[in-house]
Amino acid sequence: MDNKTVIISCAGMGKRFGKKMPKALIEVDGKAMIIRTLELLDEVDDVRVVVGYKANKVIEKVNSYRKDVTFVFNHDYTNNGTGASVSLAMKYAKKFILTIDGDIIIHPDDMKKILNMDTEFVGVCSISTDEPVLTITKNGKVLGFSREKGNFEWTGVTLLDSKRAVPTDGNVYEMVEPLLPLDYKILRLKEIDTMNDYKVAVDWVKNNYK
Amino acid sequence: MTYIESEMIIKIMEKVFLFDLDSTITKEEILPRISKLIDKDKEMEMLTEKTMMGEMSFEESFGLRVDILKDLPIEDVSDIIANISLNEKLVKFLQEHKNNCYIVTGNLDVWINKLMKKIGMENNYFCSKANVKNNKLIGIEQIIKKEDVVSKFDEFCIAIGDGSNDRKLLEKSDIGIAFGGVRNVAPALLEICDYAFFDEDKLYCFLGTLIKE
Repeated sequence: MDNKTVIISCAGMGKRFGKKMPKALIEVDGKAMIIRTLELLDEVDDVRVVVGYKANKVIEKVNSYRKDVTFVFNHDYTNNGTGASVSLAMKYAKKFILTIDGDIIIHPDDMKKILNMDTEFVGVCSISTDEPVLTITKNGKVLGFSREKGNFEWTGVTLLDSKRAVPTDGNVYEMVEPLLPLDYKILRLKEIDTMNDYKVAVDWVKNNYK
Repeated sequence: MTYIESEMIIKIMEKVFLFDLDSTITKEEILPRISKLIDKDKEMEMLTEKTMMGEMSFEESFGLRVDILKDLPIEDVSDIIANISLNEKLVKFLQEHKNNCYIVTGNLDVWINKLMKKIGMENNYFCSKANVKNNKLIGIEQIIKKEDVVSKFDEFCIAIGDGSNDRKLLEKSDIGIAFGGVRNVAPALLEICDYAFFDEDKLYCFLGTLIKE
């Protein structure tokens, strides 16, 4: 795990969810999502949290769990996407970057597996959100991303060689596109965009990720 | 210029690290520590807090703070400052990369010179200048504008600080790093910094990565 920089993007406003706080701070079954993610990263030395909207609140919460985190600032978060956050945070990174959005909950067993990976991959899941970015896959490889068709949903979780990843202002999948085809891994995770997603995630966590 | 080209240029450029002194290199604020000795710590604390939070300009508050301490013998003050506890990892970085590091502080030359010598930075610091007559501190000759230091360098500048008087210094540098290892980072810095660290070891490692890049 010493060869990985883990980047957690928490800069955005989470407009669709409608609470006036960064989505990473929303509590799922009594614990903020960012803390749930950090708890799975205890073994990782280089954890970077990208902050923007209400940065001080996110910093305070992260510091309550561990202090040895690198905070990267995306001040232009209202105009750019998570790809911009990752592009900022991947400077001076280790051999690989593992990207994770602040508004997801990953199955703890799956996180363990991906932390032990040392080849690039794209994390996908079964289609579950209302406006998904889909992945076009064939023979275990992701060939492209699409809004219209695809067999899986893009998760925002990807492991890339930090020297190959191409910076963008847009979405993280735009950084992945020039590197395709890449292997994919099916992950069990919940993304929280809407109140309905939130309820589903709470039930999932309470039910021991089943 | 493309991203790759700009990254290449950064790689070949020499790096210069500009460190704030109080609560960045030192483990406590210097002037409040001294004021305790003469029971003026309440007044001092208030002024320091107001400056940190950006409620009072550094120039105004520094003048008032120097007034509180100016009757103390210069030698005594500089001795106390020389023995203040330090963030040893950051001091280690200064000593390992002496040619690339500078201290940038609003504090007075006559007060900090012994500390600078002790940590090997006697030729590598920028600070405010005192007005001294007959070995007595009369007042302030010139208050440093921290951001002006950046213009003195053609190198790629990395600035590290914690207070609101570091804001322009961090803003003007190529990379601005807020360090909250001693006390909370001033809100004004969080508005403009590129990185924030709250763990000294982590900052030490990151600075090491920057210098190798």
